[in-house]
Amino acid sequence: MPDIYLLLVGLFLPLFPLSMVFNALFDRVQHVVLRSILLAGWPHMGIAIIHSIDTGVPDWLIAWALVTSFLYALRMLALRGVGQWNSFLATSMWAMLWLMTTDMSQNMLHMYALGISAPLVLLAFLSAGLEKRFGAAYTDLYGGLAQSIPRLSGVLVVVVLAAIATPLFPGFFIMLKLIMDTSVAMPVATFALLGIWLLWSWAGVRLLQGLIVGPASQTAVADFNLLSSWSYVIALIALMLSGIYLSGGLL
Amino acid sequence: MMSNLILFIILMPLLSALLMQLLSVKLGRSVARISVAATLISVLLSVVLLWLSLSGDLPGQTVSISPWTILYFDSLSILMALIIGLISLVVHIYSLRYMAEESGYARFFVLLDLMTASLLLMVAAGDLITLIVSWHLVGVFLYFLLGQDTRSPSAYRYAFWTLITYRIGDLPLVLAAVLLYQAYGTWSLPVIFEQLDQAPNAHSVLGLALPEVIGILLALAAFARSAQFLLHTWLPYTMDGPTPVSALMHAGIVNAGGFLINRFAPIFANTSDVLQMVFIVGFISAVIGSVLMLVQNDIKKSLGYSTMGQMGFMVMECGIGAFSLAIYHLIAHGVFKGTLFLSAGSVIHSARKDDGVPKGELYTFVVEKRPAITRKPWLLMAAITLLVPLVILVLSHWLVAEDYFQKQGAIILLFFGWITGAQLIFATYRTHAQNLWRLVLVSILSFTIIIIGYVFVSHAFDVYLYPDAAFREKLYAAASIGKIRFDILVVVITSIIIVGWLVAYYSERNRKGKHPRYTGRLWTMFYALISRELYLTDLYSLLTRIILSSANKLNVWLRWN
Repeated sequence: MPDIYLLLVGLFLPLFPLSMVFNALFDRVQHVVLRSILLAGWPHMGIAIIHSIDTGVPDWLIAWALVTSFLYALRMLALRGVGQWNSFLATSMWAMLWLMTTDMSQNMLHMYALGISAPLVLLAFLSAGLEKRFGAAYTDLYGGLAQSIPRLSGVLVVVVLAAIATPLFPGFFIMLKLIMDTSVAMPVATFALLGIWLLWSWAGVRLLQGLIVGPASQTAVADFNLLSSWSYVIALIALMLSGIYLSGGLL
Repeated sequence: MMSNLILFIILMPLLSALLMQLLSVKLGRSVARISVAATLISVLLSVVLLWLSLSGDLPGQTVSISPWTILYFDSLSILMALIIGLISLVVHIYSLRYMAEESGYARFFVLLDLMTASLLLMVAAGDLITLIVSWHLVGVFLYFLLGQDTRSPSAYRYAFWTLITYRIGDLPLVLAAVLLYQAYGTWSLPVIFEQLDQAPNAHSVLGLALPEVIGILLALAAFARSAQFLLHTWLPYTMDGPTPVSALMHAGIVNAGGFLINRFAPIFANTSDVLQMVFIVGFISAVIGSVLMLVQNDIKKSLGYSTMGQMGFMVMECGIGAFSLAIYHLIAHGVFKGTLFLSAGSVIHSARKDDGVPKGELYTFVVEKRPAITRKPWLLMAAITLLVPLVILVLSHWLVAEDYFQKQGAIILLFFGWITGAQLIFATYRTHAQNLWRLVLVSILSFTIIIIGYVFVSHAFDVYLYPDAAFREKLYAAASIGKIRFDILVVVITSIIIVGWLVAYYSERNRKGKHPRYTGRLWTMFYALISRELYLTDLYSLLTRIILSSANKLNVWLRWN
């Protein structure tokens, strides 16, 4: 019976091929608020279920989670849609939470999931902003955002950096914690985690280059106003501070 | 008071970045002066710290902000902070006018300040987390600095090569940090080094002694940052970035590998095979970097490969246990390479009008590459070439320490000094000056001054950075190989050098101007190989394409979900 529950958890802390459900749903849902709710809430259901059934996580499931995370990190390299990139990154990151489910309290696990999801929610709003301005949020379609809408580009760069676990954002400390936990007991998992982290960086840079680099687009579009810019800046500072705060419990 | 001083060195560029971002709209281009002033203050504070350190009033000072935010100011970090500050200040001042016509002027200075702060934080890191954070951020800020011209896809393409290589180098550092934490239960570097000193072999990983594993991981991180062979391809290609960034990168950032090895000297002192591996990688990088430099026809790319060669020498010096010499080398290299980059633009500009090279003997030798006609007795010149540099090297090292020749590392360095000196005299000989003897004497005099200066300054660095003689001995011991093997190597290499120079002089004298057929073909193949940069960039590009194509196929196969 617990195995069936574990499979149910595999929907919310995504395990391939169950992970395809979340990605298909995210693709279907177009409204930014609904997408944000999905990003912010999806893994919490998995965490709640796994703690309610109170069962250990077998090793094969840890390996499966790592394969899922690696698979989506690799597939991110070939994506052009910002929304899809966002959902794949979420899948790749949430799958890693399996490695923490045994030793960590439910509250801490919820905090970690939140730390992972927060920059993805910001990215979902930015993606919606691009769709509103250009009709689509695709890389290599218009490019040159740094020239045409510098404020939005600046925010986009920092949000993507936060999403791919750059210091001092929460993702960085979570990755460090994961590497610490696996380095002695599961060295193979440590190497897999490091490889996945590298793939995120690669995918993040490809996404940014496809959006911000190049001559300015011919289409005249409005940049962020000061209020929007400052809202994102404050959110990112809060995210960074929460990352540093989170490190107190982690390290 | 002292801790405030230390903190301000790092906070000044951070504060400047924040002010620039806030005031750039109101102040326009003059906002960059804030950045220059902040860097100047940071440099002045570093000078005060160095002065206090030299006068003995500043023992290794630790400023602890949280369990993983510790700043450690020992002689190494004080020296490095001053060097970084000085190079950054020069680059700031140069950029005031150089970047004036570029878009994103304020953004450039903000990034420059953030980069300076990250570098200062990196050298002052007293704990592993601060070190990882700053190490990682240096790569990120460098990526955006190299991509300052956001209209240029090629600038970003090569900036990406840099970033991905740096990220590859970040990972072993993260792993090393985590393993050290697991073993010693603390992030603090001074505490780890203290515990390691008390019980070097107390911990192991996968059956291997912990210092060995950590040493290898740290060396890998240093190799990626300092463009060592196989991880070097990014360096010569990052020339699309602004010249001040190239100067900062080649004069400061690539030296981080040498700094990292020095920072973890207590770990390397407890290894048995790691430094030998470091030496071999440094040696290969030095040779390949120098060879590839010679075939470049683009001044900036040539400088890029020259940096690779120099970094190879720096890493090699670490590999023979001469850690402080590597620091001296990175400073000296930083100064001259920074100058070369900052003047490269004006050289190219003036060369477009007139190359300015006098059509004398040197021109025919260097540019036209005309075969030489020997006029002096070749055996006498060969003897001078071989003996004079050796005598100068031996005597000058004798002045510093009589037991110098007991150390294997010192002997290896002497070999390189010997070859360099001999090369200088040989090059002089080939110029066929009217007054050859005068030219040879001038060369020998210059060589003597350089060697004596080099020996004394490196000795001073040794005493300042590693005052404990027993620790210095331990480093040399960790880098040494068995006495018999070493002696055999010395005999073999000496024979090769002597025979090599004799053959060089003899063939120069009897030169016919043509290679035999088989060597000619070999030469062409070799030239093709190095002109294609050993096909490494092609190989990496192919691998990249394969990975991207696999990712794409997977996406299609899984219907993009």
